[in-house]
Amino acid sequence: MSKHADVMVIADQLQGDLQAISFELLGAARELAGKLGVKVQAMVMGHQIDKLPQTLIEYGADEVFVVDKPELKEYTTLTYRRAVIAILASLPRPPHIVLSGATTVGRDLAPRIAAYLEVGLTADCTELDVGEYEHKGKADPTKTGLFQDVLYAIRPSFGESLKARIIGPWKNPQMATARTGAMVPLERDLSRKGTVVPVDCAFEKSDFRIKVVETVRDVSSEVDLTGAKVIVSGGAGLGDAAGFKVVEDLASIFKDSAVGASRRAVDAGWISYSHQVGQTGKTVRPKIYIALGISGAIQHRVGITNSDIIIAVNKDEGAPIFQFANYGIVGDLYEIAPLLKAQFQAKMAGASV
Amino acid sequence: MSGYKMVVLMKQVPDTSSKAGVNPDGTVDRARAKRMMNPFDKYALQKALEVKKAHGGEITVVSMGPPPALEIVVEALEYGADKGILLSDKRLAASDTLSTAYALHMVVKHVGKVDMVFTGLQTTDGDTAQTGPQIAERLDMPQVTYLEKLEVKDGVATMQRVVEGGHQTLEVPLPCLVTVANSAARLEPKRFADVFAVKELIRDKAAYDKKVTILDLDVVGANPDRAGLKGSPTVVGKTWKMGEIGGSCTMFEGGNAKDEVAELVGKLTADHGAILEEVLP
Repeated sequence: MSKHADVMVIADQLQGDLQAISFELLGAARELAGKLGVKVQAMVMGHQIDKLPQTLIEYGADEVFVVDKPELKEYTTLTYRRAVIAILASLPRPPHIVLSGATTVGRDLAPRIAAYLEVGLTADCTELDVGEYEHKGKADPTKTGLFQDVLYAIRPSFGESLKARIIGPWKNPQMATARTGAMVPLERDLSRKGTVVPVDCAFEKSDFRIKVVETVRDVSSEVDLTGAKVIVSGGAGLGDAAGFKVVEDLASIFKDSAVGASRRAVDAGWISYSHQVGQTGKTVRPKIYIALGISGAIQHRVGITNSDIIIAVNKDEGAPIFQFANYGIVGDLYEIAPLLKAQFQAKMAGASV
Repeated sequence: MSGYKMVVLMKQVPDTSSKAGVNPDGTVDRARAKRMMNPFDKYALQKALEVKKAHGGEITVVSMGPPPALEIVVEALEYGADKGILLSDKRLAASDTLSTAYALHMVVKHVGKVDMVFTGLQTTDGDTAQTGPQIAERLDMPQVTYLEKLEVKDGVATMQRVVEGGHQTLEVPLPCLVTVANSAARLEPKRFADVFAVKELIRDKAAYDKKVTILDLDVVGANPDRAGLKGSPTVVGKTWKMGEIGGSCTMFEGGNAKDEVAELVGKLTADHGAILEEVLP
């Protein structure tokens, strides 16, 4: 038996489709497992999900635990909680690390599991790593010491504008949820082999207290911010909802582009929440991110730091966004945005000659 | 049933939209920062007030923190809550979400048999969204997170929660815990009568003490070893200032807008020609 237990991913499926976050988590788990010299495990719950374990293997899992029950057709907190507990209880020892997505499912389920197990859980991580940790604090002598191969759960701390490394080496599993879009999936490898382990699960009557009446998903209303190569976003500086015409206009000249928004623009009701980028919105990683009239509060910043190039237009030269953008213009976005569009179009015309 | 017994859990957070106490590098000096009721908790309070308006009942607001956090408890009374409790104890320092949930669930138990526990989806400082579900686990209650709408009838709550790309309707028998999203209805303005009543209450110490109490871990029967730093399985190992991570921004200024834009696109072409080719048709 290896020194450490394995790294476990809680996969997220909706109506039989594995969600992208599951593959992102597997990518992160492979890296951690590589450093620890252990296996990557995944668990998936649902009903009639025969094909999902093999897909998880192709994205990096070595071993997949499956609970397939009619009661799990739709996600509910308490039934999925029971299934996760059943899988963890079936293992000879707790995983070293358990990762879940910071989605409406993961953020609902993971804290309950952590509280049930009385273990630490770090929310909404943007980076994960393992390494050494020395706890020098004397307040609790039982915790003092030097620890190896500790999970580094790294997340922005919004209140303080800090990035924080959270650790909890004292009890396994060390748990974390990861933000959508923050971890990078592996290329799917159709030849990858792994083991599938069915697990039984006995429900209790109290597990069925939550009843799903209806689920309405309009995928067409989803804005593909995470997949876009160019994102043009508007903020409070737009002044009104009509300002998004200028944003859309600039976005329209790029291939694979999308329109984003700051929280203040969404809160003002100028555009729907599905466009929101940042702390309570989406984490994005486009090639080019153009911020129009966005001051660059820390809440917005954490959602866009993975962009290759950030271009900011703001009339306030003291706006925080100029501290982390790559290129900046101080000026009126209503003047600058059309000029940018014209310049890019001129560049296209030039390039095609 | 003559109304519902409700608890609203809330937290006082630094107001980072105010310049006070926010250092130039974006870090917060908590001692100097302005304080406010966590915005998400306002949505939670609104939901409890809606239930009270429709069915009657009693709302107890519970917060945990140093003595200044009493400000938001009193503020909640001005919005129409009935009672307030602040759990304040030096031994709570450095609590992570697990030990916070332990301490707060003991306060809820101290309040007695409750029908509904409300809290904001997350706070704007910790931002984890974990404490609510962790309290529900300890209270053995079903939970609904990301709640937008709620109606109660005959002891069963019909609720709408946000899911990726849409929403979901759930039915849950009481008692239950909900965490309220910021896409729910906004907190309605204070009513003059409620504000006036709180003013009167503050003048009448005996009446005030019946409605607003500061409790410590011993009073709620909590084990101090499970609270604060001792009861927290996680610690902050290291922090970096965001300012230290950022790059340097090339500014285009001083000329007319047209020249600046032309310079920017020129520089972009020189530095990142390949990316431009990839994104332009």
